[in-house]
Amino acid sequence: MSPYILFVMLTSLGLGTTLTFTSSHWLLAWMGLEINTLAIIPLMTNKHHPRAVEAATKYFLTQAAAAAILLFASIYNAWYSGQWFIQDMSSPVSTLMTLAIAIKLGIAPMHFWLPEVMQGISINTGLILVTWQKLAPLALLMQISHNIKPELLIILGLMSTIIGGWGGLNQTQIRKIMAYSSIAHLGWIISILHFMPALAMVNLFIYLIMTITMFMTFNLLNSPTINTLAVNWSKSPILAATSALALLSLGGLPPLSGFMPKWLIIQELTNQELAPTATLLALSALLSLFFYLRLSYSLSLTIMPNTHPQTLNWNMKITTPLPLSLMMMMTLTMLPITPTIISLF
Amino acid sequence: MFIDQLPQMFLTCLSLTMVLLILPIILSMVTKPLNNWPLYVKNSVKMSFFTSLIPSIIYLNTNMQSCVIYYRWMLVSPIEINISLQFDQYSMIFMSIALYVTWSILEFAMYYMHTDILINRFFKYLLTFLISMMILVTANNMFQLFIGWEGVGIMSFLLIGWWYGRTDANMAAMQAVIYNRVGDIGLMLAMAWLLINMNSWDIQQLFIMTKNMDTTIPAMGLLLAAMGKSAQFGLHPWLPAAMEGPTPVSALLHSSTMVVAGIFLLIRLHPFLENNNKVLTAALCLGAITTFFTAACALTQNDIKKIVAFSTSSQLGLMMVAIGLNQPQLAFMHICTHAFFKAMMFLCSGSIIHSLNDEQDIRKMGGIHKIMPMTSTCLMIGSLALMGTPFLAGFFSKDAIIEALNTSHLNAWALMLTLIATSFTAVYSLRIIYFVSMSTTRMLPLSPVNENNPLIINPIKRLAWGSIIAGFILYNFILPNKTQMMTMPMSLKLTALIVSLLGLIIAFELALLTNKQIKIHPTKILHNFSNMLGFYPHTMHRLMSKLPLMFGQINATQTTDQSWTEMMGPKGIANLQLTLAQKITHMQKGLIKTYLSITMLSLLVITAMIIYF
Repeated sequence: MSPYILFVMLTSLGLGTTLTFTSSHWLLAWMGLEINTLAIIPLMTNKHHPRAVEAATKYFLTQAAAAAILLFASIYNAWYSGQWFIQDMSSPVSTLMTLAIAIKLGIAPMHFWLPEVMQGISINTGLILVTWQKLAPLALLMQISHNIKPELLIILGLMSTIIGGWGGLNQTQIRKIMAYSSIAHLGWIISILHFMPALAMVNLFIYLIMTITMFMTFNLLNSPTINTLAVNWSKSPILAATSALALLSLGGLPPLSGFMPKWLIIQELTNQELAPTATLLALSALLSLFFYLRLSYSLSLTIMPNTHPQTLNWNMKITTPLPLSLMMMMTLTMLPITPTIISLF
Repeated sequence: MFIDQLPQMFLTCLSLTMVLLILPIILSMVTKPLNNWPLYVKNSVKMSFFTSLIPSIIYLNTNMQSCVIYYRWMLVSPIEINISLQFDQYSMIFMSIALYVTWSILEFAMYYMHTDILINRFFKYLLTFLISMMILVTANNMFQLFIGWEGVGIMSFLLIGWWYGRTDANMAAMQAVIYNRVGDIGLMLAMAWLLINMNSWDIQQLFIMTKNMDTTIPAMGLLLAAMGKSAQFGLHPWLPAAMEGPTPVSALLHSSTMVVAGIFLLIRLHPFLENNNKVLTAALCLGAITTFFTAACALTQNDIKKIVAFSTSSQLGLMMVAIGLNQPQLAFMHICTHAFFKAMMFLCSGSIIHSLNDEQDIRKMGGIHKIMPMTSTCLMIGSLALMGTPFLAGFFSKDAIIEALNTSHLNAWALMLTLIATSFTAVYSLRIIYFVSMSTTRMLPLSPVNENNPLIINPIKRLAWGSIIAGFILYNFILPNKTQMMTMPMSLKLTALIVSLLGLIIAFELALLTNKQIKIHPTKILHNFSNMLGFYPHTMHRLMSKLPLMFGQINATQTTDQSWTEMMGPKGIANLQLTLAQKITHMQKGLIKTYLSITMLSLLVITAMIIYF
C-alpha cells in the first residue's frame, strides 16, 4: 500500500478512537466508532485476495449493524431523558447499548464474526483489530457501566470466557486461537466492569501488553498453524523460550503478570458476594490455559524432527527489537509491581 | 536303688532322646558328609527310640510325667515364652511310637531311595521333619507348638516335591502348603485370642484360666487348624495329592505322624473343647462327613497309594469323631495303633511298586501273593488291622470309638455315616487285597520282583509285630481318663464287626462279578462321582482362584480405577470438553446471515428478559 494512503488510514484510525475517548455527546462518540470501522476496512483488504475481502465484508456488516443499534439506542435515550450526555445514561435502553457495544467488541453470544475476520486478515491488522479496536467501545462501556444491570454484564462475561475457552480448544490456526483468546479475556474485563472499573482497566492494560507480545511474536515467526510452529525453535531460540512463558502469562499463571488481573478480579468478585461466578470464571480460564499450553508445547516444549542443516538457521534478523522486547519483559515480570499498576488506574 | 534315681533317669533319657535326633543335623552342618550317612541317621533314630523306651516304660509303670523348662527365651512382660517340654501321657507314648515307626521307615528308605543321588539330603529332610514333629508333640506352650507345626508343614512341602522336575509333584506340594496355610489361620486366631485374653501361651496356665470361660473362638480356630493339617473334609484334597512324594515320605508324613498333628493339637488342648457343645458337635459332624466321603472316594481309585491315602483320611475322620465325642484318649489310642499298620501298608506298597518297576496301578498288578509272600502277608495283616479285626491293633482303638459312638446321646446321622464308612473300609481293603495279591497276574512279564532284601523285610516285620500287639499293650497299660460305657445291648456291641463283615461279603460278591458282563453299558454315575473325588478339587481349585480374581477385576479395576477415578476424573472430563468444543465451533460455519440472525435474536431475547425481570 502506498505510504500516503497508509498514513491517512492509520491517522483516521487514531482519530476515530480519540474522538470517542474525548466525546461526551453520543453522536460524536458514534461518529468516532464509524470512522474507526471505515478506516480499518482498507487496511484489511491490503492484500487483494478473496479471504481478506470476505473478512472485511463480514467485519463491516457486523460493525455497521452494531453502530446502527448504538445510534438507535442513543437517540432513544435522547428522546427519553432529553439530553445527549454519555455519563447520564439512565434509560431502559442501556441494555441495548451494552449489547451493541458487545457486538462491536466481540463478546459472546455475539462473537461469531471475530474468528473468521481474524483468520482472513494479516497478522498485523489482526493486532490492530484485537487491541486498538477494543479501546473505543470499552471507553463507552466504562462510562455507562454504573447504569447497566450487573447481571447482564456478569452473564455476558461468563459466556464469553466459557465460549472463548471451548471454542479455542478445537482450533489449529493461530489467528483463530488468538481470536478466541481475545473473546475470553474480554469476558474477564466486562465481568468486573460494574463493580470496579479500575480493575477492568488494569485487566485491559495487561491484556493489551500480552496480546501485543504474542502477535508480534507470531508475526516474526510467520507460522499460521500450530504444526508450523514446531520448527521455530531453531529460528530463534530466545523467542521460543520466552514466548512459551508469554503464553503461560496469557493463561494467567503466577508468577507471570497475566495472573495479576485474574487474581484481583476474583478477589473483588468474592468481596461482592459473587463467589460462584468467580469460581466459574476461574474454571473456564482452565480451558483457555489448555490451548495456550498446547501452543507453548509445539513452540518450545518439543523439538520437531528435522534435518541437521535446518537447525542452523541463523539469518533471522529482527530489525526493530525494542517493541517486542519491551512488551515481552512487561508480560513476564510485572506481577511484583501490582500496587503500582493499580494505582495507575 | 533304682527307684530313687528314677526321676533323673527319666529326664536324662528324655533329653538324650532329643539330643540324639539333633546330633546328625548339627554334624551335617559342621563337617563333610560321612560315608554312609543314611545308615548313620537310621542308627541315630534307632538309638533314640531305645532311649525313649525307658521313660515310656517308667511312665507305664509309675505314671511319672514331667514338664521341663529349659530356657527363658523371650520376656515381653507379662508374657513369658520359654523353651519348655512337656512329657506327659500323650507325648511320651507318641514319641516312642513315632521313633519306632520312623526307624523302620528310614531302614526301608535306605532300600527305596538307594539309586537317588540326593539320598543324603532326603534323610536330612526326614530327620528335620522328625525333629519338628517331636517339638510339636512335646511343646508346653503354644509358641513352641507353632514352631513345630510350621516345621512339619514346610518339610512336608519339601518332601512331597522331592521329584521337583515333575509338574504334578510341584502342584501337589503347592496344594499341601496352601491347604495347610488356610488351617494355620485357625491356629493363629486361637493363639492370638489366647494371648490377648489370657496373657500367656503356657498350656497349663491356659487350662486353669479358661476353666469357666466361653472358649468358642479359640476352639473354632483350633478346629480349623486341625481341618487343614489333618485333611478333614473341606481342606482334604492335599492328602491324596501328596502321594506324589516318594513312598517313605507318604509312610512317615502322610500316614503316621504329620497328618495326626492336627488331631494331636485337639487332643492336647482338649480342655478348651470339653464344655463347648458347639465345637464338639462341629467336630463330630466334620469327622463323620470326612470319614464317609473319603472312604467313598477310596472305593474306585486305581492307584494303590491313593487308596491307602484315602484310607488314612478316613481314619483321621474317625479320630475327629472321637474328639467330637469328648473322648480324646480314644482318639490318641487310634493315632498310635493307626501309625503301625498304616506305615506298614505304605511300606508294603512301596516294596510292590519298586518290584514292578514303578507300577502303581492296581489294575496292572495281580498274584503278588505267590511271588512276594512276605510283603503280601504283611499287607493282609495291615488291612485286617485296619478293618478292626478282633484283637489286632486296630480293634482296640476303633471298636472303642464305635462303641462310644453307639452309646452316646449324640448325632445319629454322624453315627450312621461312621458305620457306613467302617463297612467301606472293609470294601476297599478287600479291593486292594483282591487286585494286588489274589487272582491272576496282570503285570509285565519281566518285572524285577525281589523282596529278598533285609532292608525291606526287617522294617515290615517290625511294623507287623507292632500292628498285632501294640493295641493290646496300650490298652492294658493306659487307664482311661473318662469312664467308658461298658454295658450295652449285644447288637450295639457287635455293630462294628457286623458292619465290617457285611462290607466284606458284599465286596467279595462284587469282586466275583469282575469277569462277567451283566449289562451292556454299566451305569457309571456313582462310579464317576467317587473316582473323581466328588469333583471337589476340580471345582474348588478353579473357583477359589477365579472368584477373587473376578472380584478384583470388577471391583478394583473396572469400578474403582476405571470408572470412578478415570471416567469421573480425567477421561470423562476430557470427553465432555471435546463434545462441547465441537458444538461451539460447529456454529461457526462462515455464513454471515447466521451470525447476524443469532446476534439479533440474542439482542431481542436479552432485552426482553432485562425489561421484564
